[in-house]
Amino acid sequence: MKMKWSSSIPVLSVLAALFFCGARGLAQPVAASRAQGFTSVEYYPAPLQQQMKSRLSGASAQPEPGGLLVIQQLKLETFNTNGSPQAVVEAPECVYDTQQFTATSAGHLQLQNGDGKIRTEGDGFLWRQEDSFLTISNHVHTVIETGPEMNTGL
Amino acid sequence: MKTICLIALITVTAGMAARAQSDTNATSQLLRVTDIHSDSAVFDGNGHTVTYFGNVRVSDPDMKLICAVLIADLPPSGGRVNHIVAETNVVMDATDSKGQPVHATSAKAVYDYDVQNSVTNETVTLTGNPQPQVEIAQGTNTADVIVWDRANNGFHFSGNYHFSPNLNAAPANTNSPPKN
Repeated sequence: MKMKWSSSIPVLSVLAALFFCGARGLAQPVAASRAQGFTSVEYYPAPLQQQMKSRLSGASAQPEPGGLLVIQQLKLETFNTNGSPQAVVEAPECVYDTQQFTATSAGHLQLQNGDGKIRTEGDGFLWRQEDSFLTISNHVHTVIETGPEMNTGL
Repeated sequence: MKTICLIALITVTAGMAARAQSDTNATSQLLRVTDIHSDSAVFDGNGHTVTYFGNVRVSDPDMKLICAVLIADLPPSGGRVNHIVAETNVVMDATDSKGQPVHATSAKAVYDYDVQNSVTNETVTLTGNPQPQVEIAQGTNTADVIVWDRANNGFHFSGNYHFSPNLNAAPANTNSPPKN
């Protein structure tokens, strides 16, 4: 079976983007107060500057002492240059440490690729941005659907 | 943005299971679902590996794999995964390319994929203590090292080889039922 790797999704990068976005897009606006129903959009560089690269949204982002940012109902969507969905990352809650560049949560984490055929989830996670290290602590479950259009390659 | 692909990492962990599937037109037309469960997992973007820890269970229509630790290496820029290691109490139930059941146990199982001069090498190597064991319809094989050559659908045994025939097994290459 052959994997169409060109269609595989850089979710680790997505996570990086997620928390980079969190640092760049949210730390400033919410530095002084809680942000409600926020959305942060990043676009591709020119000449695709009209094309959305990622959309980070959440129900709220609450700054806490020590450079922490508590984000509720986090959702990150990334898009290909043609606008098709690339990946979706969701976490009901996470804490982003703007000094240590880590994100943690005792809650759920869900990742999936654009068509939803590759999904992983678990409970409790630590993302270390600096060395691109993601640990999912409990109940890890990955589902891979393969069919005529997409095979696992192994 | 780093090029390492977590989804690829995820996909790779199903490698042994996925590889057990026959690459026939019939099977490739069907939707297949591979499940991977574990207690925890670590995705190392710099080391280009994904490691599943604790009660690792890989399941798909053609294979079930159980182990304590499953490690998959990823090519940095994507591409085919060529190295997967399953460790500790590895139990594998699969079918060979002829649809015959294969039950294997070992302390360690290593999947390797390589193409040299247009020749595909694809193996699962069983090693460790207790001695690896492969049960097929004809009997049980044990050896210090057992290599399942998936490209050629054969087994290679080395070191302290022993074979225990299944006296109830049907003769090879027949469809007659087992003797009672």
